[in-house]
Amino acid sequence: MANLYVQAMQPTDLNRNTEWFTYPGVWTTYILILFFSWLVVLSVFGCSPGMAWTIVHLSHFAVTYQFFHWKKGTPFAEDQGVYNRLTWWEQIDNGKQLTRNRKFLLVVPVVLYLIASHTTDYQHPMLFLNTLAVFILVVAKFPHMHKVRIFGINADQ
Amino acid sequence: MIKIPYLAALTTLFSYGLLFVFGQLRDFFRKIFDYWSHSKLQGYAPICLGLEDFYIRRLYLRIQDCFNRPISSPPDAWFDVVERISNDNNKTLKRTTKVSRNFPQAPAVLGLMEALQPCIPNWRSVWRIFVGKPAAVVFGMGYVTNSAILPVLIGKGGLIISDSLNHKSIINGARGSGATVRVFQHNTPYHLEKVLREQIAEGQPRTHRPWKKIIVVVEGIYSMEGELCKLPEIVAICKKSKAYVYLDEAHSVGAVGKTGRGVCELLGVDTADVDIMMGTFTKSFGSCGGYIAGSKELIKYLKYTCPAHVYATSISPPAAQQIISSIKVILGEDGSSRGAQKLARIRENCNFFRSELQKMGFEVLGDNDSPVMPIMLYNPSKIPAFSRECLKQNVAVVTVAFPATPLLLARARICISAAHTKEDLIKALEVISRVGDLIGIKYFPAEPKKQQLEETRVKFE
Repeated sequence: MANLYVQAMQPTDLNRNTEWFTYPGVWTTYILILFFSWLVVLSVFGCSPGMAWTIVHLSHFAVTYQFFHWKKGTPFAEDQGVYNRLTWWEQIDNGKQLTRNRKFLLVVPVVLYLIASHTTDYQHPMLFLNTLAVFILVVAKFPHMHKVRIFGINADQ
Repeated sequence: MIKIPYLAALTTLFSYGLLFVFGQLRDFFRKIFDYWSHSKLQGYAPICLGLEDFYIRRLYLRIQDCFNRPISSPPDAWFDVVERISNDNNKTLKRTTKVSRNFPQAPAVLGLMEALQPCIPNWRSVWRIFVGKPAAVVFGMGYVTNSAILPVLIGKGGLIISDSLNHKSIINGARGSGATVRVFQHNTPYHLEKVLREQIAEGQPRTHRPWKKIIVVVEGIYSMEGELCKLPEIVAICKKSKAYVYLDEAHSVGAVGKTGRGVCELLGVDTADVDIMMGTFTKSFGSCGGYIAGSKELIKYLKYTCPAHVYATSISPPAAQQIISSIKVILGEDGSSRGAQKLARIRENCNFFRSELQKMGFEVLGDNDSPVMPIMLYNPSKIPAFSRECLKQNVAVVTVAFPATPLLLARARICISAAHTKEDLIKALEVISRVGDLIGIKYFPAEPKKQQLEETRVKFE
């Protein structure tokens, strides 16, 4: 395992906030983090695997919504605020829609939803919460929603 | 192209994620505590918007003692680093009166920080002879040279194509000029050609009219990679597409090439093909300031329009004289062969150091003959570990992290100077090898020592 090397091309993304996403190993790390958090939830709460997947799915929804679709701008001041009106989702790949990264990030919550609803046997109320979460996330990632703020939520002053 | 071990990539991403999560948690609790305490400033706007200073507060300040170390002796082979202590977990650092004698690995390339003599006028002619261009203009600061010249050279309706790893001064100048900026993959002439053809075919952004001017900006030696620019191919492509070439030789002038004239001499490119040559005097000449060399018309135009020349003060006399003396030493005009010796020594030193580091198994970037050697660290926790461990053993290294480098590719940057002797280098190698073993940054398999013995036996026979 230690002898596995990957070649990395220097990315042409000028936005330092999103450029790290183009490096190899990001997708694997994301999936591994989700899997290990499921194991942690299982061991801490001692619940059924279905409940654990639901908890993982809902906390994944909360975390990714907050950081991808709510927080705007970049965590450093070097770019002089060019991206201050854009959320992280609107910044990646320089605003180009339907790239490989975006498709991957769209598929992950949907797969999580399928796993969570399957392992809880489609029971309420988990099914309702899961469906709501995946609906919000998928709609937020549509190409038509680029820079759209519904009802002025999260718009600038 | 960097070869990253897969496990290192995964662990680096995970560590950054963890650091980010901890930073957010601390911010969240800080917000709660601050809500309860009264703020004396009611009605004032906040200084930082939102997340702007998150990286500095939660990531950079934790390892602040590894960066910007003050020194209290002139830059030479060995110098005194002032020790600093912190009482509040690195939020603030206080200087103590103790200094420690350290062996530095920082850019003082030709070790020419000696003797300043009284000033002599008319030294720009000396500079013109050195660089090989008809005219030159000098500025007091290297960063300002780039950021004030690009807005004057090109404006709205022009196109700047810059390498993806160009220095911040170039990015600043390009942004301030108002021209459209496109980036091509680092040192890939094939991608530059693709971008050029695409942009020339498309024209200006909305009107699709032809571009007023196209400038391609590259650097001689990239300061964070130590790689030489692929200048002959890039110049050929630009000639074909009638784009101007702007070469930034901050690290390469005075250090590479047979007589120290920079990357054009090393790679055999005619200086008449490069339209604008820029460089700084801080690295090889031991002074301060930057220059632009080009055709007579260009320099005349710059002298009338560039604010860094028109409104700023000129370069100070001691700095100017230091530059003249350094050039005379490099060219050998002062009678001794110190210049040629130093150039030969820096080439020997950097090739020796680089090959030894690679044999030990470190991942070292850069081409042969380049005095800049970054050792890859990757993990954010290895940055302070490497820096502090080396400092304990009296070797001061410069570590570079985000945002000067891409997020995942943190490195320790080593610059070899002609003032270093072979014993110094061997001692530094031992320290770095020991610390590298301790930290685990020998990502490549080390070459076994037996091979070396066999080589010497063969040479003997």
